[in-house]
Amino acid sequence: MSLPTKRSATTTATTSSSSTSATANFPPMKKAKSQAVSACSSLDPSCNKNGLHHFIPSTAADNDVVFDSSSMTLDDDPKLDDRSPPPAANLSRKKATPPQPAKKLVIKLVKAKPTLPAHFEVDTWAKLQSAIKAIFLKQPDSCDLEKLYQAVNDLCLHKMGGNLYQRIEKECEAHISSVLQSLVGQSPDLVVFLSLVERCWQDLCDQMLMIRGIALYLDRTYVKQTPNVRSLWDMGLHLFRKHLALSPEVEHKTVTGLLRMIERERLGESVDRTLLNHLLKMFTALGIYAESFERPFLDCTSEFYAAEGMKYMQQSDVPDYLKHVEMRLHEEHERCLLYLDASTRKPLIATAERQLLERHISAILDKGFMMLMDGHRTEDLKRMYSLFLRVNALESLRQALSSYIRRAGQGIIMDEEKDKDMVSSLLEFKASLDTIWEESFSKNEAFCNTIKDAFEHLINLRQNRPAELIAKFLDEKLRAGNKGTSEEELEGTLDKVLVLFRFIQGKDVFEAFYKKDLAKRLLLGKSASIDAEKSMISKLKTECGSQFTNKLEGMFKDIELSKEINESFKQSSQARTKLPSGIEMSVHVLTTGYWPTYPPMDVRLPHELNVYQDIFKEFYLSKYSGRRLMWQNSLGHCVLKAEFLKGKKELAVSLFQTVVLMLFNDAQKLSFQDIKDATSIEDKELRRTLQSLACGKVRVLQKVNAIQMKETVEENTSTTERVFQDRQYQVDAAIVRIMKTRKVLSHTLLITELFQQLKFPIKPADLKKRIESLIDREYLERDKSNPQIYNYLA
Amino acid sequence: MRRSAARKTGQSNSTAPITSSATDLFRSASSKASSKEMERIDNLFYSYANRSSGLIDPEGIENLCSDMEVDHTDVRILMLAWKMKAEKQGYFTLEEWRRGLKALRADTVNKLKKALPELEKEVKRPSNFVDFYSYSFRYCLTEEKQKSIDIESICQLLDLVLGSHFRAQVDYFIEYLKIQNDYKVINMDQWMGFYHFCTEISFPDLSNYDPELAWPLILDNFVEWMQEKRT
Repeated sequence: MSLPTKRSATTTATTSSSSTSATANFPPMKKAKSQAVSACSSLDPSCNKNGLHHFIPSTAADNDVVFDSSSMTLDDDPKLDDRSPPPAANLSRKKATPPQPAKKLVIKLVKAKPTLPAHFEVDTWAKLQSAIKAIFLKQPDSCDLEKLYQAVNDLCLHKMGGNLYQRIEKECEAHISSVLQSLVGQSPDLVVFLSLVERCWQDLCDQMLMIRGIALYLDRTYVKQTPNVRSLWDMGLHLFRKHLALSPEVEHKTVTGLLRMIERERLGESVDRTLLNHLLKMFTALGIYAESFERPFLDCTSEFYAAEGMKYMQQSDVPDYLKHVEMRLHEEHERCLLYLDASTRKPLIATAERQLLERHISAILDKGFMMLMDGHRTEDLKRMYSLFLRVNALESLRQALSSYIRRAGQGIIMDEEKDKDMVSSLLEFKASLDTIWEESFSKNEAFCNTIKDAFEHLINLRQNRPAELIAKFLDEKLRAGNKGTSEEELEGTLDKVLVLFRFIQGKDVFEAFYKKDLAKRLLLGKSASIDAEKSMISKLKTECGSQFTNKLEGMFKDIELSKEINESFKQSSQARTKLPSGIEMSVHVLTTGYWPTYPPMDVRLPHELNVYQDIFKEFYLSKYSGRRLMWQNSLGHCVLKAEFLKGKKELAVSLFQTVVLMLFNDAQKLSFQDIKDATSIEDKELRRTLQSLACGKVRVLQKVNAIQMKETVEENTSTTERVFQDRQYQVDAAIVRIMKTRKVLSHTLLITELFQQLKFPIKPADLKKRIESLIDREYLERDKSNPQIYNYLA
Repeated sequence: MRRSAARKTGQSNSTAPITSSATDLFRSASSKASSKEMERIDNLFYSYANRSSGLIDPEGIENLCSDMEVDHTDVRILMLAWKMKAEKQGYFTLEEWRRGLKALRADTVNKLKKALPELEKEVKRPSNFVDFYSYSFRYCLTEEKQKSIDIESICQLLDLVLGSHFRAQVDYFIEYLKIQNDYKVINMDQWMGFYHFCTEISFPDLSNYDPELAWPLILDNFVEWMQEKRT
C-alpha cells in the first residue's frame, strides 16, 4: 500500500518539473520537494490508512504548487536544509553548488513573481469554516471534500498552517464546550443521561475524524513540524477533557451513572453493556479512566462486597457462601472482558477477593470446615481450597485440617468403649482423609504432611493401647476363618494397617502383641495363609529393619524345622517300634528367645502321652545332643474321638481339656477336687478349662479349642508388663552406655542424648526415675558442687 | 546389690580412722595443760558412759542433756554429734567425745553448755551447714546397709534441721510428704535435693523452678502439687 502512494507522489513531482522549464533551474527545490513527500510517506505510516490517494492533488493544483514553491525558493530552501537530517542537507548543498552560474535565469522569474489572490486566507478559511460548522451541525455542505482538502493543503503551503490550526481549534472548542454545556442539567434519569453522553461522544468522534480527514495535510505538515502541537484528533480529546473538567457536574453524573449501572447489574438487573463499554472506552481515550473512574469504582466495589460478605456470611451456610463467592469472582472477571478496561482486572478481583474471602477466612473455617469434612463434601472442599489458594490462605486451611483431624481422631482414640473398633475406625478415617486430599486439596504436599503429623500425634495420644489394638486387628485378619476376603483384599488391608503402624512410636508394644498372636496362630494352626503371614513379616522388615523381624522370622523357621523333625521322627526306628498305637502326635520344637515366654504349667498327662513324649525326647536328643526340651503343656491341643448317644464325634480340644475328658473314660462323676488331684492342673487354669467344657454353649462340643486362641487377662497384662520391663532395661542400659563414654555429663545433655537413642516414647519424668535409680545403685552420682551434673562411677 | 554393698564399706573405710592415739600422745606430751584438759574430758566422758560398753549410750546422752538443761531432741545435740563426728546415733565413743570437746575447748558440763551458742553459729555458716545437713541424714541411718529413711523420721529431721531456716518450705514439704503415696522412704539424693531447692528456688511462687533440670522427681511432684494447690 505504501509503494503506489510513494510512486504517485514522486511521479507528480517529476511531471511538474518537466512541465515548467523554470523548475529545471531549481534542482534544489525539486530535491526538496520530492524529499518532503517521501518523508511524509515514510514518517507517517497512517498515510495510506487515511486514504491519501483520495486527495491526490490535481494537475491544476500541481501547477499552483510548483509555481508557489518556485516563488518561495529563496527563503524556503535554507529552512528546509536546516531541518532535514544532515546527510540529506549535504546532498542538497553539493547539488546546489554546480548550477550557480545559471542564477541569472532565476532572477528573471522572480521578477514575474505571482501573487496570492487578495483575501486568499480569509476566503479559504471561510470555506473550511462553513464545512466544519456543517459537520458539527450534521448538515451537508456544498463544498466537496476534495476541494476542502485542497484548501487545507493550499493554506499549509502558504505557511498559514499555524493560523489554520488555531482557527480549527477555536471552532472545535466552541462546539465541544457548547455540547458539554448542553448536557448540564439534562435528564435526572442516569441511564438516559448516560446515553446522551455516549451520543455526544460518538458524534464528536465521528466529527473529529471527518475534520481530521479534511485537514490531514495540516496534521502531516504543520503538526509534525511544530513541537508541542497536538494532532487534530488529540486536540479534540484534549478539548473534550478540558471542558469535561470545566463542567464537573457532567463528569460526576457520568461516573455515578456508570457505578449505579454496574451496581444494578451486580444486583441482578440486566443493563446495557454496550453503553457501559462505550462510555468506559471514552474514559480510556480521554486518559482519565484510572483517575476518574477506576478509583471510585474500586472503592464502590470494595464497599459493595464488604456489605455483601457480611450479610451472606450471616445468612447462608458455608458451601453456599463459597459457591456465591466463586460466582461473584467469575462475574467480575466477565465484567473485565465485557466492558471494563483490562488493567482493572487485577485490582478488581483482588478487591472482591479481599472483601468476600480474606476477611472471612477464619469465620468460614470455624463455621463450615468441620461440617464439610464430616459430610465428606469433596466438591465444596475443593472449592474452598481453590478459593483459599487465591488469597494465600492455604496455611489457615491446613491448620484447620490439622486441628480437625486431631479433634475427630481424639474421639476414636480416647474412647475406651470403642477400643474394639478403633483400628477399623482409624482406617476408615484415614481413607476418607486421603480421598479428600486427592480430590479436594489437589494433592498438596504440605497437606499430606499435615495429615501424617496429625495422625502420628493422634495415635500416640494414648500410650501403648493403639499399638496393641493394631497388632490384634492384624491377628483377626490373619487368623483362619476370615472367609469372604480374597488374597488381594487381605493384602490391601495389611498395607493400610501398615500405614497406621508407621505412626506408632512404641513399636515394641506392637511387636510383643503381634508376636504373641502370631505364636498362637502358628502353634494352633490357625493361620489363614502362610503367604499372607510372610508378606506381613516382609512388610514389617522393610519398615523397621531385619532386627525388628528377626525373632518373628525365627518363629517361622521353627515351624518349618518342626515339620521336618516330625517327618523324620515318623520314619525313625524308635517311632516304629516303641510308639503306643492309636495315638498320633506332632511336636513343635520352639527356640527359646524367638517365642514369647510361656509360664510353665504342670499337668499329669495320661500314660500313653507320657510314653509318647519320652520316645520323642529320646529321638530328638539323639539327633541334637546337648539340647534341653521343655514341654509347654498349655499350648498343646488334641483331637479326640468320642462316642455319644447320637453317634461318634471328633472333639478338637486343648491338652488340658483332653486330660480332664480322659478322666471320664474311667468314671461317671468326679468332684472338682478329684479332677484337681488327678490332673494337678493349677487351680485357676483348671477352672477355666472346666468352665469351657461344662458351661459353653455346646457343652462338651465347645467350639474347637477356642479357649486357647482367646487372650486371657493375665496374658495381656504380662505382655504389656514385659514390654515395660524391657523398656526400663533399655533406658538403664542407654544411660550407663552414655555415661560410660562421657564420664561427666549435665542432666539436660543426658536427657537429650537419651531421647535420641531410645526408640519408644518416654516421658522425661520416667527418665529421671531411671537416673535416680542408677544413682541409688551407685552407677552414677550427682556432682558434689553442681547437682545438675552427673559423674559416672566406674 | 553386690556393687552397692562394696561401695558402702569403701565409704566407711575412708571416714573411720580419723584420729590415732599417736597424735593424742604427742599432744599430751607437748603440753601438760592439754594433758590435764584431756584428763578432765575423759573423766567427764566416763561420768556419762555405760560401764560395760564403754560408750555414752542413749541413757548417758539423756543425762548429759538434763545436766546441760537442754532437751535431748534439741538440734544443738545433733550439732554436738556433728562436731564429734559421731558415727552411731545415740552413742558417743571416747574418741568422738575427745574430738568434739577438745575442739569446743570444753572440759566441764558448764563449759560445754556455754560452748553451745558458739557451736550453733559455727554450724550455721553456709560452708558448714551443707556438711551438717548431709551429716544429719547419715546420722539417722542406723541399720547396716540402710540407705534411706522413712517419711515420718524425715519429716521430724527436716523440722529439726531446716525448720528454723526455711520454715515455709519445710512445712509445705512435710505436708506433701505425708499425703503422697509414691514414696515411702527418702534417700540421700532427694534429701540433698531439697536443701538445694530451699536455697535456690524462690518460694512460694516457685517462679524459677524448672522441672527440665535435674531436680529429683519427688521435687517435681512437690512443685506440681504446690501449683495445683494454689489454683
